[in-house]
Amino acid sequence: MGWRIGFDAFVSEVGGIAHFTGRYFRNALYPRFEWGELLRQCSISGYRSLPLVAITAFIMGLVLTVQSRPTLARFGAESMLPAMVAISMVREIAPVITALICAGKIGSSMGAELGSMKVTEQIDAMEVSGTNPFRYLVVTRIWSTILTLPILVVLAMGISIWASWVGVNIKDAVSWDLFYRQVFESLEFSDFIPAFVKSYFFGLAIGVVGCYKGYHTLKGTEGVGQAAHSAVVVASLLIFILDLMAVQITDFLGIN
Amino acid sequence: MDAKPAISSAPPDASAEKVISIRGLAKSFADNAVLKGFDLDLRRGENLMVLGKSGSGKSVLIKCIVRLLDADAGSINVLGQDVLGLDQDALDRIRVKIGFLFQSSALYDSMTVQENLEFPLRRHWIAKGAQDTESLVEEVLTAVGLPQTRAMYPSELSGGMKRRIGLARTLILKPEIVLYDEPTTGLDPISGKEIVELILELQRTYGTSSIIISHDLHVAKLAANRIALLHEGRNYLEGTYQDLLASDDPLVKKFFIFM
Repeated sequence: MGWRIGFDAFVSEVGGIAHFTGRYFRNALYPRFEWGELLRQCSISGYRSLPLVAITAFIMGLVLTVQSRPTLARFGAESMLPAMVAISMVREIAPVITALICAGKIGSSMGAELGSMKVTEQIDAMEVSGTNPFRYLVVTRIWSTILTLPILVVLAMGISIWASWVGVNIKDAVSWDLFYRQVFESLEFSDFIPAFVKSYFFGLAIGVVGCYKGYHTLKGTEGVGQAAHSAVVVASLLIFILDLMAVQITDFLGIN
Repeated sequence: MDAKPAISSAPPDASAEKVISIRGLAKSFADNAVLKGFDLDLRRGENLMVLGKSGSGKSVLIKCIVRLLDADAGSINVLGQDVLGLDQDALDRIRVKIGFLFQSSALYDSMTVQENLEFPLRRHWIAKGAQDTESLVEEVLTAVGLPQTRAMYPSELSGGMKRRIGLARTLILKPEIVLYDEPTTGLDPISGKEIVELILELQRTYGTSSIIISHDLHVAKLAANRIALLHEGRNYLEGTYQDLLASDDPLVKKFFIFM
């Protein structure tokens, strides 16, 4: 009956996250909005994640360029390198890699922080002082990931394309103007829109899962560790599922 | 804070209004029935201690009063309002009038002492400007005897200091009722006695009514006007410390075994 227990736990988890998401939407635009806390959380989620996202995007752009080059050269299609890297980065790699990095950094941080507050009764203390902890702690954190992730994704796209130009210039001398023109001749507006839209959903998934795991932490300090760990695992899995759905939807709509 | 009270505060007026009235309170966790029809009244200006063994449901009782836990049955009337029937906004308004000192103090560990104290003020727009906030923080820090700690983080404070700052954060909203969850547990006898003296001092200064949850009869002797014994989910008996001391009830005698 082990599979039955596992299945029940899975259904319970999915139901819990769905209910938590519904509660977020019911409280998301509550009249007394916590602007100060939102700005603080945006700074933590966005500004402090920027160095990690930037370094990763730079490496991804450079590595993809250097590794793709020999294959393209074999077919005499080196001139396609900027277009290939740009389309790969904009459509898929930058949104997904940025979201996974944020799931690791922001999701685990939210899970651990809220989990720690939960087990030390700080959330209860906030509640008994007449402050709604869900609106103050959860709504602001989820909004922060929804708002900052698309910005990080756009920055990651730009940095990875610039890194690709650096990669091309390791062996050849290509001007930035030429590279830039080739990139934007290959990209269309319809490449940006799906990537940009799915970034909002990735941000929602990271914020909801991180806060859900932290807010429902049990079993003391061990539970805090579990909350941080499972926030990363579940958010990463959700990012891949959302990405799969996004690909199917764009394919169905003929945007690809 | 110079005058140290030698014994408990003056007994309350028996005709004073009831600020908390609990009837038939029941609460279970799965198959474990913790409260099974608990009744209790707290009168204005009174220090009522709920005495009971560990795990008897004392903390559950006060968490039900502020609705940190939802009761399964019964009624809880606080300052004339049925707490169990309040919507979220009305509940938040009444919670401002009820202070709650957690056993763990539950200070916000990412904030300094000053920020911990300012947080509830900012949330409820109680202070009129920065100067008013400053004077309220100064007032409660002086009242708990720790004016020098405002820039410190909770991790830099001792257990007794955390309990005092927790009390200061509770008092800064000027509550009418304070619920103390094991206020001396985990403290050395000297710090524990200081906390009890502080509770009495603050009761006189701010005129609060209190429910003190504890299994410590020293606290009962010093701080309680009246004691309610929680046993098997019910209010087993009530009386003063002297009443309990003179009781022949075998259960009551067990509590005095180390006294």
